[in-house]
Amino acid sequence: MKKDRYLADYVTLLLVAVVLALVPLGVGDSAHYLRIVTLMLIYMAYAVAFNIIFGHTRQLFLCIGALAGSSAYLSVVLATKMFLSPWATIPLGIVFAAFLGGAFSYVSVRRGLGVIFVGVVTLVFSLIFHNLILGLRELTNGETGIETKALGVGVLQSGRGSYYVILAVLMASLVLYHLLMRSRAGTAFRAIADDEFAAELVGIDVTFFKVLAASIGSALLGAVGAIYAYYSGFISPTEYALVSVDIVVLVTLLLGGMGTLLGPVLGGVLFAVLDELVRPLGRLNVLVYGVLMIVLVITFRHGLVAALRKIIKVRIP
Amino acid sequence: MIAILVDGIVQGLQLSLMAVGITLIYGLGGVLNLAHGQFAVVGGIATALFVEAGVNPLVACALGILSAGVFGFVVDRTLLLPAYRSAGEERLLLGLLITLGLSFVVNGFLDYKYPNISLTLKLATPSFSVAGITVRTASAVAAAIAIVAFILLFAFLKGTLLGKVVRSIIQNEVGAGLCGINPGRIRTLIVTLSAMMAGMGGVVQGLFSSLGTEMGNELTSFALIVAVVGGVRSINGTLAAGVLLGIVNAFASYYVGAYLTLIILLGTAVFTILLRPAGLFAYRT
Amino acid sequence: MSALIAVEGLQVAYGDMPVVKGVSLEVQQGEAVAVIGPNGAGKTTLFKAIAGMLKPRSGKILYQGARIDGIRHCDTVKRGVVYVPAERELFPQMTVLENLELGAYTNYKSRRERLEFVLRLFPRLAERREQMAGTLSGGEQQMVAVGRGLMAKPSILLLDEPSTGLAPLFVSELYRQLSRLKAEGLTILLAEQQVPHALSFSERAYVLENGGIRLFGKSADLLGDPEIQRSYLGMV
Repeated sequence: MKKDRYLADYVTLLLVAVVLALVPLGVGDSAHYLRIVTLMLIYMAYAVAFNIIFGHTRQLFLCIGALAGSSAYLSVVLATKMFLSPWATIPLGIVFAAFLGGAFSYVSVRRGLGVIFVGVVTLVFSLIFHNLILGLRELTNGETGIETKALGVGVLQSGRGSYYVILAVLMASLVLYHLLMRSRAGTAFRAIADDEFAAELVGIDVTFFKVLAASIGSALLGAVGAIYAYYSGFISPTEYALVSVDIVVLVTLLLGGMGTLLGPVLGGVLFAVLDELVRPLGRLNVLVYGVLMIVLVITFRHGLVAALRKIIKVRIP
Repeated sequence: MIAILVDGIVQGLQLSLMAVGITLIYGLGGVLNLAHGQFAVVGGIATALFVEAGVNPLVACALGILSAGVFGFVVDRTLLLPAYRSAGEERLLLGLLITLGLSFVVNGFLDYKYPNISLTLKLATPSFSVAGITVRTASAVAAAIAIVAFILLFAFLKGTLLGKVVRSIIQNEVGAGLCGINPGRIRTLIVTLSAMMAGMGGVVQGLFSSLGTEMGNELTSFALIVAVVGGVRSINGTLAAGVLLGIVNAFASYYVGAYLTLIILLGTAVFTILLRPAGLFAYRT
Repeated sequence: MSALIAVEGLQVAYGDMPVVKGVSLEVQQGEAVAVIGPNGAGKTTLFKAIAGMLKPRSGKILYQGARIDGIRHCDTVKRGVVYVPAERELFPQMTVLENLELGAYTNYKSRRERLEFVLRLFPRLAERREQMAGTLSGGEQQMVAVGRGLMAKPSILLLDEPSTGLAPLFVSELYRQLSRLKAEGLTILLAEQQVPHALSFSERAYVLENGGIRLFGKSADLLGDPEIQRSYLGMV
């Protein structure tokens, strides 16, 4: 009987995997569109991570890009300067990002410092990250960035191949999300998001679970961030700026629905479409996203999944 | 050494001028304004546009600051309404996300419409001597503006009825309501005032270096750090924290270099927050 | 004679949880009425609804015959309905004087004479007028809270558990002052856990239990009621 409870989840995961796997076929030979859909997968994965951190434990991390970038830069710099294989340095990046995220979370929770503190510190961290990359010019090559093509990540170089590798990473993150939410941690997350004080009273170790969520989410950010750097062929600070990552993730989750499995995926699709529509506007796209963010937060806060749940009475994970 | 200290204090006063707006908006509205730097940028860019149109620089500054105020007024009466309708943490989160979105909107718009405009104000005499010490005119003017602004602010808060009402709302919104005070209208006034002070900060920044759209987020970050360290509800605290962090900033920049300075600043902020979580001057209940 | 305040079939809920389940009461001009009952009975919720701090789910609240349910608490003050909560809600970093003066916000120009009145009533506050309200003792803070409420020239004063956290000596003094106010014609609606004081001070009383009125009548009668004596007066 227990299996039935998660049937919807399994079906969803399967559907997502199949549909996304078929997308490259629909795209055909266009390298341009292949890149767009691959990026869509990357942002979906970022959104899954932010979903864990904010969607489930209400920790407003305004440094998504910076965390992803920290891992990416650590990995790339070590690979280029110390001639290590990227496959060796990516785990280091992941650990670094997880550590940072966990540290921000720990300090705020331990001191009961609340949303303001987390928001301010992470926002400032984004700025620090940007400035640090520019400042440590000898290591990072500043604004110009570093080429990652020659670093021997083979499979991430080819068009279709990279798509499927990244799809695998996305599916892995969705499965991770699913397992996390059905475990005891998931129950704890729901309790904490509902009423932190009450959760504490009932005996849930709020500190542990919040730091856990932040660390796992940050680790995921680190993984995707590093992979993206190698996929792109180069790394530069603007790829990880607030306007490049954070705003996309926020709009994606607002569109799709926070705290749900499908949210990042549906939101990611919607955002990719939106991005294409907005492309002719050039640099005005940031304005559009800002407006969209404000409108969504005010009117459509719970996202598409919640809206669908009301219309279709089927359980959508 | 003294020169750095003086520089630090001047910078600190500037930081406090920006940060006090954040404290006021949070104290009165329960909203942490992540678009505060954008208020400053709006003030600065407006000033630059007026100057370009041939307006006398002094008048242009005044108009620019006024523009920032108008912008703040409009934001409060439109975008922030949904936040004010909620309460507590819901309001805080909503306010954070709305103002964050607003910061993107302003950045996006200004980047697109006026990509190359920035405000640079040159003063007639770059520096002058006082008792043998060379003082940058810009620093003197900036300090004077900030000091006058703060004196006026304190006189307003302590001396006038409206000022007392503002303080009462910050200290206890429920209590203020019990006295028959409606926080809504006063909130709008204060948000407008805070936006104008941010505009002032932006214009002053134009004295030292040039103020462009890209500075918005940095100004917000600095203002946030100062406000949080001083205690997000304490105006005295914000002033003290600003001067303190300004001095730290000045010394750190001199000895360590600009890029690492921000880390040191954040480190100091985190350190003080860990020591006194509610802020340096926050009232201990 | 229509009541100054009349509550009819009031239902107030916190989210989904009903707290006040159909309460009706009335207070005549010049009366002192008490609402007694155990913790959690809904006394504070009831008072907050009357004062306009909570929106009732259903029912009516009438003041001088006109409906005031749904009006915000900052607006009821101007009409003469003044609420003094158990938590006092003072301005901690402002002086006693400033706290009191702000109480007269709706009538600021005439605050001087009200201030003299209040300071005569609570001479201790006159001594401490320049002291920060946050540094006062519990009893003194309660005096400031009541004083601040009086500064608004109330037609009716809603006092929520005024004896909270007060030493017995202070409680007696407080009720002495309240009697003086009553003698001057102020209408008072009082919520109390300190039943003996409440019943000897008021003319009528309502017993609120579990969100509903269980008993009501003349306070003198209630004092003699054996059930009341057992449940609230600790007599066997």
